[in-house]
Amino acid sequence: MTGTNEKVLKKLEETVGKDWVVTEREFMENYLQDETPESVRPSAANDLILVKPSSTEEVSQILKLANQEKIPVFPVGGRTGLVGASVPTEPGIILSLERMKKIEIDRQNLMAIVEAGATLGELIEASEAAGLFFPLHPGDEGAQIGGLIATNAGGVRAVKYGVVRNYVKGIEAVLPTGEVLNLGGRLIKNNAGYDLMHLIIGSEGTLCVVTKAVIKLYARSKFSATLIVPFQRRFDAIKSVQAILQSGVVPLAIEYVELKEINQAAEHLNEEWPVQEGKAQLMLILTAISEDELLSACEKISEVCEKNGAGETVIAETKEEQDKILRVRSNIYTTLKPQMIDILDVTVPPSRLGDLMNAVDEIARKHETHLPVYGHAGDGNLHIHIMKEEDKPPDYASKVKREIYDAGIRLGGVITGEHGIGKIRVDEFALTIGEKELSLMKGIKKLFDPNNILNPGKVIPSG
Amino acid sequence: MKPGLKMIVLVKQVPEIEKVRFDYEKGRLDRSSAGAVINPFDLNALEAAVQIKEKTGGEITVLSMGPPQAKEALKDALARGADNAVLLTDVKFAGADTLATSYTLSCAVRKLEPFDLILCGEKTIDGDTAQVGPEVAEFLGIPHVAYVEKILDVNENRVVTRSRMERCYYDIEMRFPSLITVTKDANTPRLPTLRDKIKARKAEITIWSADDLSDIAHEAIFGASNSPTRVAKVYAPLSSKRKAVFIKGTTEEKARQIASLLAELVL
Repeated sequence: MTGTNEKVLKKLEETVGKDWVVTEREFMENYLQDETPESVRPSAANDLILVKPSSTEEVSQILKLANQEKIPVFPVGGRTGLVGASVPTEPGIILSLERMKKIEIDRQNLMAIVEAGATLGELIEASEAAGLFFPLHPGDEGAQIGGLIATNAGGVRAVKYGVVRNYVKGIEAVLPTGEVLNLGGRLIKNNAGYDLMHLIIGSEGTLCVVTKAVIKLYARSKFSATLIVPFQRRFDAIKSVQAILQSGVVPLAIEYVELKEINQAAEHLNEEWPVQEGKAQLMLILTAISEDELLSACEKISEVCEKNGAGETVIAETKEEQDKILRVRSNIYTTLKPQMIDILDVTVPPSRLGDLMNAVDEIARKHETHLPVYGHAGDGNLHIHIMKEEDKPPDYASKVKREIYDAGIRLGGVITGEHGIGKIRVDEFALTIGEKELSLMKGIKKLFDPNNILNPGKVIPSG
Repeated sequence: MKPGLKMIVLVKQVPEIEKVRFDYEKGRLDRSSAGAVINPFDLNALEAAVQIKEKTGGEITVLSMGPPQAKEALKDALARGADNAVLLTDVKFAGADTLATSYTLSCAVRKLEPFDLILCGEKTIDGDTAQVGPEVAEFLGIPHVAYVEKILDVNENRVVTRSRMERCYYDIEMRFPSLITVTKDANTPRLPTLRDKIKARKAEITIWSADDLSDIAHEAIFGASNSPTRVAKVYAPLSSKRKAVFIKGTTEEKARQIASLLAELVL
């Protein structure tokens, strides 16, 4: 960027106002990294400008300028990603839409019209205030809507209503040329031509910049419960997941946790995990319109699990108790993080999850290590953690990762079910997909972003 | 009667604090905005009783005063380990202050006699007075200890408790019958099993009206009209939003701006 700095800087300041252009490194530290574990996190480049536009029009002008000057642009959201997708790895512009956070609730259509910079927490709050519900909970509530869409976030509570893709009904996005796309809308059905909107969802900021979205909401169920079901054997827990879904009960979430890790996560929060029986446990979240309906679904689950060897099911019904359980579950990652090299999110057909876990055990045994696992059992999505040994990454780390990927693919799965490719999985991604598929993706990238200014070096391997 | 201690746990049904909204215009909680639950501190009292029962054996009766729907809270208490439940409900009890509430509860306790230990939460989250437990004990003329954060020892004759009081703590040994109020730190209440939850839903709750207490109580001390205290006004503090000011300029300019902002704040 050297040389163009002054001219570009001036134009950026004219576009968004002086207060919203930051060049001092010390004021942009938070924008230089995301939640990717340190051992694998990419480094941020030097010579960066942080810009905070307040409207789609300003975003359009910034992108147009960057495209003319061929300056890389790194769109960032809440920076809660785990694959380095939002790290500005080349000199250029960091584009934060944090000032664009308007939320309009359309009660008639049960939808929210949300600007990209609004946070997940703000969307949840606004929905609840209107008596509606945004069921998905990808984890950190500081995540921004633009980021959730760019990464097609998942997390817990995806069993019943799906991942972000299933919620997005419309998108406003800005192309590198500055042109604004309006795709979809407040529509449940839309079959007009190729579905560009779904191409953009999950494209990790490499095709365009999402500025606004129409998000599907649901009526709030008055009754909800969280169940914890203990099992002595992991195999029985996984077998129960399929049996629950086949029984016709569809919980919001079915999570698999192991006692050792969940106890560590609870201790880290100075809490106690309520069930100490059984080293493998399922945590399920259910909602219903009446307590009778809720408890009868709970009974069905308990009955199915007992047939598969479960112990005594416990139930949390108050919001405080349910929130505590979810908080502890969401804290497993934070607890493991200091000793973690990488968190994988291999996803297989749900019925093969047990086989994936056995394969992970086998890999751990082979390398004489422990690979903590937990995951979204209802989605076949397993988080496997490669840990440090004596505070250092062990020699076998990349080998272990590759073997886990191979096992996932052998079982009909993919290397990532929710975190995406970002920066740190680019090489592995290229190795695991077909040549034609990759060349189509490269073609799409070129069509949207011929000058490769949007989040360069992410998702698609260069060259 | 079962061997072991006979315990009574006083519970109150309160709005679910995480969900309830405050009606600023009317100056009261909008109870329709949230479900109702057992007062969280009372869950600690119940858990303490269940732990004592696990050690010494015995029987736990939960006692509450409230509208008919408070039955749900008592059923929840049964699912969490209580053996029996009694609800005091009558329009004559309505609107009682802490004194009238304590009097009514103490009459019901007399009706449940004999007992060894009464356990209460240190306070309720909607009233926040911490008066009812000690007042019940005073009406009954029994010793009591408040703010118990640990039960150090218990047997068939006495309980040894620890209460924290600012910079010191009291370890107190107390014979039965007596009353304690426990804090949040006393324990972590367990979750009910689904099996117990379903069983408790079908359980019968004993209902007592003012007439049922007539052989013990003076009706003159029941309800709002006989409460010496009145709540004049309830208001919730309006939450203030954090403000951010960006300071730009040379180091000297920034320092000056910070100094003047701080001066404004101090003034």
